[in-house]
Amino acid sequence: MLVNLPGPWNPWLGRLALSEIPYTNPILAPLFVVVVVLGLLMVAGITYYGKWGYLWKEWLTTVDHKKLGIMYIILGLVMLFRGFIDGLMMRTQQAMAVGPHASGMMGAVHGYLTPFHFGQIYSAHGMIMILLAATPLLVGIMNIVIPLQIGARDMAYPYLNALGLWITAAAVVLIMASLFVGDFAHNGWFGYAPIFELAYSPGVGVDYWIWTFQLVALGTTLGSINFIATIVKMRAPGMKWSRLPMFTWASLSANIIALTSFPCLQVAIGLVAADRYLGTHFFTAGFGGNLMLYTNLFWLWGHPEVYFVILPAFGMISEIIPTFSEKPLFGYVTMVLATFAIAGVSWLVWLHHFFTMGMGPYVSTEFSVATMLVGIPTGVKVFNWAFTMYRGRLTYTAAMYWALGALFLLLVGGLTGMMLSIPAINYMVHNSVFVVAHFHMMLLCIVYAIFGSVIYWFPKVFGYTLNEAWGKVMFWLFSAGTALVFIPMFMEGFMGMTRRLDWPFDPHWAPYLNIQVLGILVYVLSILAFVVMLYVSIRDRAQHRAAADAWGTSRSLEWLTASPVPFYNFAVVPQVNARDEVAWRREHGLSAQRASHYDAIHMPNNTGIAIIIGGLTFVLGFALTWRIWWLSLISLLAIIVMMIYRSAKGDPGHVIPAEEVERMDREAERTMPRADLPRHSGGVLGGAIAYDSGAAGEGSANLRGAPDYRP
Amino acid sequence: MFTRKWQPLRWVRYVALAPLLLLLNGCATHSIWWIFDPHGVGAKASFDYMMIDVAVMLGIVGLTAIMIVWFMWRYHKGRNRGTYDGKWAHSTTIEVFVWGIPILAVGFLSWAVAINGSFAVNPYNPTVITRHLKPHGDPIEVDVIATDWQWLFIYPQYHMAVANELVVPAHTPVFFKLTSTAVTTDFFVPQLLGMIDVMPGMRTKDALESDSIGQYQGVAADYCGAGTSWMLFKTHVVSKSDFASWVHHAQQSTGNLTVAGFNRFAEPYININNKVEYFSQVQKGLFNQVILEVMHGRKWPLPMFMTENMVGYLKKQAAEHRA
Repeated sequence: MLVNLPGPWNPWLGRLALSEIPYTNPILAPLFVVVVVLGLLMVAGITYYGKWGYLWKEWLTTVDHKKLGIMYIILGLVMLFRGFIDGLMMRTQQAMAVGPHASGMMGAVHGYLTPFHFGQIYSAHGMIMILLAATPLLVGIMNIVIPLQIGARDMAYPYLNALGLWITAAAVVLIMASLFVGDFAHNGWFGYAPIFELAYSPGVGVDYWIWTFQLVALGTTLGSINFIATIVKMRAPGMKWSRLPMFTWASLSANIIALTSFPCLQVAIGLVAADRYLGTHFFTAGFGGNLMLYTNLFWLWGHPEVYFVILPAFGMISEIIPTFSEKPLFGYVTMVLATFAIAGVSWLVWLHHFFTMGMGPYVSTEFSVATMLVGIPTGVKVFNWAFTMYRGRLTYTAAMYWALGALFLLLVGGLTGMMLSIPAINYMVHNSVFVVAHFHMMLLCIVYAIFGSVIYWFPKVFGYTLNEAWGKVMFWLFSAGTALVFIPMFMEGFMGMTRRLDWPFDPHWAPYLNIQVLGILVYVLSILAFVVMLYVSIRDRAQHRAAADAWGTSRSLEWLTASPVPFYNFAVVPQVNARDEVAWRREHGLSAQRASHYDAIHMPNNTGIAIIIGGLTFVLGFALTWRIWWLSLISLLAIIVMMIYRSAKGDPGHVIPAEEVERMDREAERTMPRADLPRHSGGVLGGAIAYDSGAAGEGSANLRGAPDYRP
Repeated sequence: MFTRKWQPLRWVRYVALAPLLLLLNGCATHSIWWIFDPHGVGAKASFDYMMIDVAVMLGIVGLTAIMIVWFMWRYHKGRNRGTYDGKWAHSTTIEVFVWGIPILAVGFLSWAVAINGSFAVNPYNPTVITRHLKPHGDPIEVDVIATDWQWLFIYPQYHMAVANELVVPAHTPVFFKLTSTAVTTDFFVPQLLGMIDVMPGMRTKDALESDSIGQYQGVAADYCGAGTSWMLFKTHVVSKSDFASWVHHAQQSTGNLTVAGFNRFAEPYININNKVEYFSQVQKGLFNQVILEVMHGRKWPLPMFMTENMVGYLKKQAAEHRA
């Protein structure tokens, strides 16, 4: 023991004891029972239908970027729900506790949550929503879409991709474990120095927070390396930089941010761990520690992270709006420039998260102006989307609803962001619920873009479209919920209500808090609408079978291949001729053109090592949280052994013979509805090569596009 | 380089205020819209800057929103309102405008609000207060120490202190020095002055001047543990004569605050009972002493019965509260 723990510890179980399981808590104990029952039902169901082999072979060991993407999205949606429940508890607690005379129950003086419990809930809410909901959802969509958009067969490193997923899943399991074993951190998702020091947070909550952060940072960093390598090296022949789809550009910029900023977070959190485990004084108030150093290090990652999540969302909007406007994206070049401008400036603004530190007017002016600079490229993006619609033919599909909704949220978020970027204004609303409402506008902009792109790309992955009517019902309910929760929250900010109050002391806030609870109920309805949408869509999937170009007006390369997309993505690696390849082929009457010659495809093998390492990282995180040293050591060694084993073994991959590819491609074509006829009856332009035949002379181009998985 | 003589566009705020009148619902002395009803010189300046910023940004964002809605209506497929041009994707003129408008707006706001505002309400030297320093008489100094979870306000000029209540004279600049014993929080009186971080082992500064006699709510604006919500203090702005008599009254109290006494006071305590305490004698240099002790490693650790297992403690506090 390097530090003096305030509680008991023993060498076998560390800090773990029966009393750490909150079996007396009237919220958590029944929840635990429900979770266990659901889990047992799932296990029983899988066993009954004999699906264990299928699950293991097709999902748990897969390295297919689409299946990994789907699992990322499921993970993200589950955590979005968990984070929402946290939000629901915060809203109900504040509404019940408001005012000096509000009654209390379950140990709380006002409302039903004690301050420490409330602190855990909002900390978990923030961390889950940003890192375990938004990030996996975005990474999942990037995973599915990027290789398809650039004409690749898979990611550059399929095994690394699986590893990233399973490490992220380990982080999810770790934070969920904190519900039922011990506590979670109460110090906000970004942590405050020095309240996260052992003296002020004696329990295991902060340790859970540290290791969850480390795992998700590791998983995301691995993913970002993979995305950058894929976009740089795996583009199909003819996919020049000037033809890269906007979503891929946005993802590239986002992943450059992730790769460069996440290590900063890992260092910051690592130093917190050193303080708590080794008794160092990096961020303590005394002994030469510097607590503001932590805040700087954290937001040095934290602000780029904000753009890591918003830029792919901007990319999604840039794909959906042109498709349903039947026009190319307006100002492609400036859009790319704007994306990278935002990514670049994201490194220069972190101090605006703590203008109230008292840094002096010269420093705060610099960061204030830098922050406002972000508004320029963001404004450009909004205008470009608007002018994409200008002279277009707009179809209001559910996906378009979500994209436009995101656009309006961005306007509100931008207006309030420009207020917060100014120190003189920031002093009055920093740490108020006004800030909370502002960044929820921005994060909901991301959520809207995510829902839009789930609807938009769903037919490509599963081969049928989601129910439009229920998608729109969900949109309106979700938007009503957003308005009811966050407009009152903006107003409460102007009433001087600060963040994170487990007891809102002023009874004047009560009506606004009650409206927010109403909004939460409407959000619940929108979740039900989402479930109904899924159910109805799956039920009616035969009627809504999608063609290769599911929307009839799609533009980028992913709409060229069959829906649902086969595991090898493209039967023949396409030759790219234009920025909006599918639109270009449609215009030139090439949509129905089929390949005449097939080549064998080399694909990577499945591997169980990724999920085993993922599981071991969870054990390591859990053991470190509870200070079970022997288990930490064993799991760490096991991870290293597995890594060495995998490196030594390598993966020769497997080859699908050309005849098999041809058979599968013809089969896919037969089962798909007929691609709609060319809209413009122009003839095929001379010299257009719709498919790369792989014949002599084109062979080198083929090699460039087709990945080689030999070690 | 930066002269502080320039006045923010005073008239703009009245224009921008118009839609907000609905919100202010007869804003008297007891408006619930604290940010829109500033009574401190600093808070008023912040409000002015907010109005300029909102006016400029609302102009751009509002017009953009109208433009988008108009495009959405006009180019709806099948309604034949606008002409379709499926090739049109670039226009240098429009590009110049889409970059130009945000650049001009950001340029103007940077100068008018970000730069000027940062100096005007700089917590360490707010020129809105300090440029009028002379005619207002002697400023009051207050040393603020935040503990887990109470506020101690020391008046070094009067050798006295009061916990969880702040009293200041009107028409007089008040200069704060702030520190904390255990963890970080924010000092904030929404209607009087903006937030400033209060950090252990460090000293920050802020300043306040108010011309409106009244009672204002002060809060701990940053999460600092279980007692944050109850870490409230009433701020009374009183006339100069009332202040003098309040000081006199406080100096008659029996409480005495030495370093040892302060260390007892700073033990973790959730102030559910809204307890206000007076100390007639405060040991000289207590504020600096606290900073030095924290820098040398002094902590006020939280016991687990105030974090993980706090139900029992809260019960005890609540019972005291009801008693």
